[in-house]
Amino acid sequence: MLKSRFLTAGAAILATALSASTALADITILAWPGEPAESAFRKVLDLYNSTEGAKNNSKASVIYFSQQGFKEKMLADVAAGSKEFDVMLTATYDVGLYAPFMTPIDDLVTEDVYKVVSKNSIETQKYEGKTYGIPTDLSLHFLYYRKDLIEQLNTDPAWKAKYEEISEKILGKKLSPKPADQWDWDDFIASALFFTKSINPDSPTRYGTVLQMKNLLYNIMLWQGTVASNGGNWRDKDGNITVDSPAFKRGLEIYKIITDNEATPGDSSTYEYGEANSVFGAGQVAFMLQWNAAVPEFNDATKYPTVAGKLGLSHEPAGSEGPKTHFHSLGLGINKNTAKLDEAKAFLSWLATAEPMKLYAKEGGSPPLAEGLMAEIAGDRPEMLLMGEHAAKYGFVMDGATSAKAMGIYTNMAENFTGYWTGEIEQDEAIANVVADMKKAFAQ
Amino acid sequence: MSYASFETKEQASARALLVPLCLFMGALLGFPTLINLWYSFSDVSFQNMIGSFVGIDNYVAAVTNPKMWQALRFSLQFAVICTTIEVGAALILVFILHPLLVKRPWMTAILMLPMMVSPALMGVMYRLILNEFTGAVPVYLEMMGYAVNFLGRGNIYKTVVAIEVLQWTPFAFLILLTARQTVSYELEEAAAVDGATGFRSTFHILLPMMKPALVIVLFVRFIDSFRVFDHIYVLTGGGPGNLTTSISIYIYKLFFVQNTLGEAVAVSILLLLMSLTLIVVAMRLVVRRS
Repeated sequence: MLKSRFLTAGAAILATALSASTALADITILAWPGEPAESAFRKVLDLYNSTEGAKNNSKASVIYFSQQGFKEKMLADVAAGSKEFDVMLTATYDVGLYAPFMTPIDDLVTEDVYKVVSKNSIETQKYEGKTYGIPTDLSLHFLYYRKDLIEQLNTDPAWKAKYEEISEKILGKKLSPKPADQWDWDDFIASALFFTKSINPDSPTRYGTVLQMKNLLYNIMLWQGTVASNGGNWRDKDGNITVDSPAFKRGLEIYKIITDNEATPGDSSTYEYGEANSVFGAGQVAFMLQWNAAVPEFNDATKYPTVAGKLGLSHEPAGSEGPKTHFHSLGLGINKNTAKLDEAKAFLSWLATAEPMKLYAKEGGSPPLAEGLMAEIAGDRPEMLLMGEHAAKYGFVMDGATSAKAMGIYTNMAENFTGYWTGEIEQDEAIANVVADMKKAFAQ
Repeated sequence: MSYASFETKEQASARALLVPLCLFMGALLGFPTLINLWYSFSDVSFQNMIGSFVGIDNYVAAVTNPKMWQALRFSLQFAVICTTIEVGAALILVFILHPLLVKRPWMTAILMLPMMVSPALMGVMYRLILNEFTGAVPVYLEMMGYAVNFLGRGNIYKTVVAIEVLQWTPFAFLILLTARQTVSYELEEAAAVDGATGFRSTFHILLPMMKPALVIVLFVRFIDSFRVFDHIYVLTGGGPGNLTTSISIYIYKLFFVQNTLGEAVAVSILLLLMSLTLIVVAMRLVVRRS
């Protein structure tokens, strides 16, 4: 009797010890700040902590750096071997830069994951054949326009006549208004001119469009749809740099014509995402190119009453190769220095399942969901369908834009191209500077 | 005990007392300087924090890059313009406000307010205040019939200078006010009795008495404006083009964005050498004058 009690007690102790050894530790996630994704991600973490995390006895918490200098801070931290966070942000355009500080997660990317997250978005988290992140947000660009204004432009004979007159006078060719989803870049420019008060005093808006021309790498991503739609790329198949090309020159001219004719606000050279939203949201411009993340804001009548209910979305205007949009994904991967690899993997495996991804989408995140799931949440987020469609049909990633030098190249482009648009330097000089920098970067 | 041996003993104890300070300085300045020297001669990167020796390649890359000279020119020009305006304005304000502040010293605290705001926050504030659509200043000016685009290409340089001046003139004012208050009333009264009032009193009594403070404030403001970063980075990112890229922004971009750590450190060391040369020349001039 006594022996059996001892045996039972021993077994209980052993079982407790075993269960303690399989229990996971808490993890910390370094994620990208900013609404609506931030609040949505917190809800996902709450779900994890109350379900899978509770089961594993592993709690996940999130930390944020400020957006300004986020990547620099993260780079300094991982290079210093920080273990302050176990799961970290990844992005298509710098996956090559961070790859040496991350653990590949190909073992987590099973066939089941492809049923939740689109396969091509997982491809954007790869560097040299290895996967470094589970994509959580898809970023691409839409043409945001005021439906009421563009419809009137296409139906009002007086507006049509004025449009033709302006296009002939400034662009040297008589263009007729078209619906936004049929625009090419000439239509984009002509419409920008038409809706500019200094050119057309009857324009209901002060400027036609708002260009984001702050010396910032993200603004080059937004611009380079003009290049890709005309067949441009950073490099050709043989690795030759192809920036000095008609496609790049055309892309540069599109912004230059709009800037020189003051069809964008005069302080656009200090504008980025936020400023452009406030100008469009206040009804001061008729249309703009913008990141997809802004859609929920413009559908919110309490925030932008002028635009809510009148927002039209389309693909970017077409070039010789049709419409194109830069796209990238943000995701979460594993810090190489983490001492909690199993816990981090457990979290990412859970994250790449249907329930958390659907919750994230419903709460305002923009996960690149697989087709089936996308249809399920389309009722709550109709623009998500458009995102999936645009990424598949028009999405491009420039050749070399995931390399370790991509951020530096984007920044150099921003310096030189914003300089050209604002008249600091000539186009040839700007292109030559960028080519020289790219040659140096890719040679290293 | 002979005088000579006493002196030797005193010297020895003085040296011993200097040891902790030297160790402290060595740890705080010596180690970073040495490691930075190594970085400037290596191909160090975030992926390879040790790097290998590349000779003077980074220095060659630094001095042959026209962007460095452009940034240096911007910083020098910016520092000269800002320092001149700040110190000039502060001096005028001191002479105008001194009688008032003697009676109401608490008002000095109000004048100091801009200095207490973080420069980065200052950049964010002006980004909002000067925005063509949402900014209070352009909106009111437009109501008065003046359409000014403060953040447009034509005005951006003047705007970043104005922000720097608005923020740091109070600092120059504070130092100069303190210097003005140290000039004894008796001296001013004696000068007045001798017939030196107004212009003569200011230029022959007050300004010479305030000269040491004036030199210090010029020096401090020049250094501070030369290494400007925060509000320009927030407001313009150094653009459009490289129009407002200061040398600090240039080094930051080389280091964190271009990932060319060696070249960034080489530029910093070149700047350090230039600054040291300037300081040595300035100190010699000051010593010779005194």
